[in-house]
Amino acid sequence: MKRVLAVVLLLSSLVARAQSTELENPGSVSAIQNRAYTMDFEFDLGVGTLPLDAFYKGYYPLAGAVVHFNDFLGWQVARGAYSFNVSTGLRDQLERDFAVAPTAFEEVQWFIGSDLLLKPFYGKSSVLNTWVLHYEAHFILGASLFKFSVAQFSPALNLGFGIRLFHNRYVSYRLDVSDAIVFGIVGKAKISQVITIQLMLALNFGGTE
Amino acid sequence: MKRLVWTTVVLAAAGAFGQGEKKAPVDPVTGEAAAPKQKEAAPEAKPAAAPAEAKAETRAEVVTATPQKMDLKFFDDALNDYFGGNPKSAAAKLFTFTENVAATDENYAWAQFFLARSLIELGLRHAGAVYLARIARERTNPQVLPKALATLQELTDLPHDEVLIDEQVFGALDLGFLPEDISGYAHYQQGLVDLRVGNERWANTHFSKLPEAGAEASRAKFALLVTRLKTLKRDVPKEVIDDFLELAKDEKLTQDARNDAILAVARLRYELKDYNGAFEAYNLVKLPALDPGRATLYLEEAWTRYNLGQIHAAMGILTTLDAPSFRDEFLPDKYLLRAFIYRDLCHYLPAKRAAKELTRRFADSIEAIREREDLTRDPRLLRAASSHGSTKRARKFLESLEFEGEQLGRYAGTFGERMFSYMTRLYDLARAEGTRVYDERLKNSVRAEADKLLRASEQVRLMEYEVGLKLYERVKKGSKLVALVEEPRLEGKQVSYRFVNEYWNDELRDYRFSLKSRCIEETAQ
Repeated sequence: MKRVLAVVLLLSSLVARAQSTELENPGSVSAIQNRAYTMDFEFDLGVGTLPLDAFYKGYYPLAGAVVHFNDFLGWQVARGAYSFNVSTGLRDQLERDFAVAPTAFEEVQWFIGSDLLLKPFYGKSSVLNTWVLHYEAHFILGASLFKFSVAQFSPALNLGFGIRLFHNRYVSYRLDVSDAIVFGIVGKAKISQVITIQLMLALNFGGTE
Repeated sequence: MKRLVWTTVVLAAAGAFGQGEKKAPVDPVTGEAAAPKQKEAAPEAKPAAAPAEAKAETRAEVVTATPQKMDLKFFDDALNDYFGGNPKSAAAKLFTFTENVAATDENYAWAQFFLARSLIELGLRHAGAVYLARIARERTNPQVLPKALATLQELTDLPHDEVLIDEQVFGALDLGFLPEDISGYAHYQQGLVDLRVGNERWANTHFSKLPEAGAEASRAKFALLVTRLKTLKRDVPKEVIDDFLELAKDEKLTQDARNDAILAVARLRYELKDYNGAFEAYNLVKLPALDPGRATLYLEEAWTRYNLGQIHAAMGILTTLDAPSFRDEFLPDKYLLRAFIYRDLCHYLPAKRAAKELTRRFADSIEAIREREDLTRDPRLLRAASSHGSTKRARKFLESLEFEGEQLGRYAGTFGERMFSYMTRLYDLARAEGTRVYDERLKNSVRAEADKLLRASEQVRLMEYEVGLKLYERVKKGSKLVALVEEPRLEGKQVSYRFVNEYWNDELRDYRFSLKSRCIEETAQ
């Protein structure tokens, strides 16, 4: 009984405190602003990397185009990249010391795809208390088609996220990290993963500031 | 014959005595006996005597001193120092040169000009301005004059001696021989002087000579409109507002001046109770990116919105005025307006608290006013009074003199004792005069601020009385809350950042307050 009484007393003091604050400063304040930047039709140029495979690392230039339906949804109509691959020391060692055939290593040669961009996050950040930097973050959901060196073509489901930093109404910078779940590469597991990290210069046409 | 000879001798002796008693020339800057034409070739050539001795020596020498023909090489050396980026050394040499040659020397005015430039480059702007003003007054070399005036005009962008430069130089120039850009500025200043003494016709004569494409013409229009407003007793004609509006769009004016013009439009419309028009005008004020803006602008906009019935937006702006950027602003009205808004929403206790906040916050100042103390000693009133208008300009000038006076000490060694003591006297006198002008202006403006505070504190009492009545008002049977005013919803392109006591400069104009009304319908039985 005592315990119940103590809890009730404690809660009542909290309620009283909340009421007192409400009486002193009733109401709430928000800053309502127009979005500083709005995207419309976006053309991307950039570079990316395939960092995950232990036998090679891929470095690629890429291009893409995105149509933004509104501030929350965009469609990456097309994207494509051609990868320049560099063997790792492990692969060299395998080939040299263990006579593993080069064809045993599956490599991404190029890929194309299309994605939906869901953009629920938009915000701003203070930089050195001097500038304001606007950004948005998005999720990526889409499909890709990979061309491998051995297994030829394989479809993939693309999942990822990215962040965009706005420079001005025409230019923004976009960093995407995505995981392509590739289906049916011959001679390998049925499902494998290709991680991509890409940095893009995004040119915006028709957007506002 | 002997008698004639004696008479001649006596007359000659009397003449010589009279010459001996003739006053030494007075330095136009320090007002002391000038000792410019001594036989001193360079500051370091002869150590200075003790002050008392020096004075006596000076007087004695003035009688016999004749300007020395200085070696031209000395002047050339000084110029080489100046153009070689060594203004410190150049200033010392040029000072010696100007002190030792006659005013009729062909290089005298040039030496003064480069001495002024050197001093300005050393951060001693006022000393530089004094020499430039002297060139303008003496006019010994017509080639130097336009350059000196152009440099003086540049100095007017910063805190400067308004009497010396604006009134005594530009306000009194003979304008016939000046290049167009300088004469434009001089006409503008002379027009302003005429306006200040209430002679609009003469001012118009000067202003009519300003080139239409120049910034001065627009500034003159602004000055004329402001003066005309002061003379208007009742209704402001619409044309005056339109003229201000036109000026606000004038690209020749600086953004600050355009903002002043649009603020004038907003204030005039507010006075005419055209609140929508006033609000539109306030929205036309353009601030640089991330500039916090002016507190008075926000407060006026808040009153306008309040009068338009947009009390939530008005309260949002009052939140802005609590930002650290405006913490030191003297805005007694802010507390009253907040109290009005709470009262209108029937939150009576917060209304009372908001009103009392004014008397709490300004308790010391109100006490000082009631006790008839020296108001210039009250820090809040002092800060408020010296934060705008001519008092602010006088304060800024005084501060710049203090700073330059301190800077002067760094050059004591290079300047030599003679130049250093001359400059020290010059700054001491300027400081004394600057302090006098500042004190005089401060006295008037502090009184105006005290009046403002007293009026606001009277309003607080009324508010407390009104709120007291409302608090104990009987709620009638069947009373209902008044229909809530729908707050506007977020539009598609809008984003909302909840305020958590962190002020962002880019949000200062965008705060929106949300509070439901607790008022009861008046029609209840």
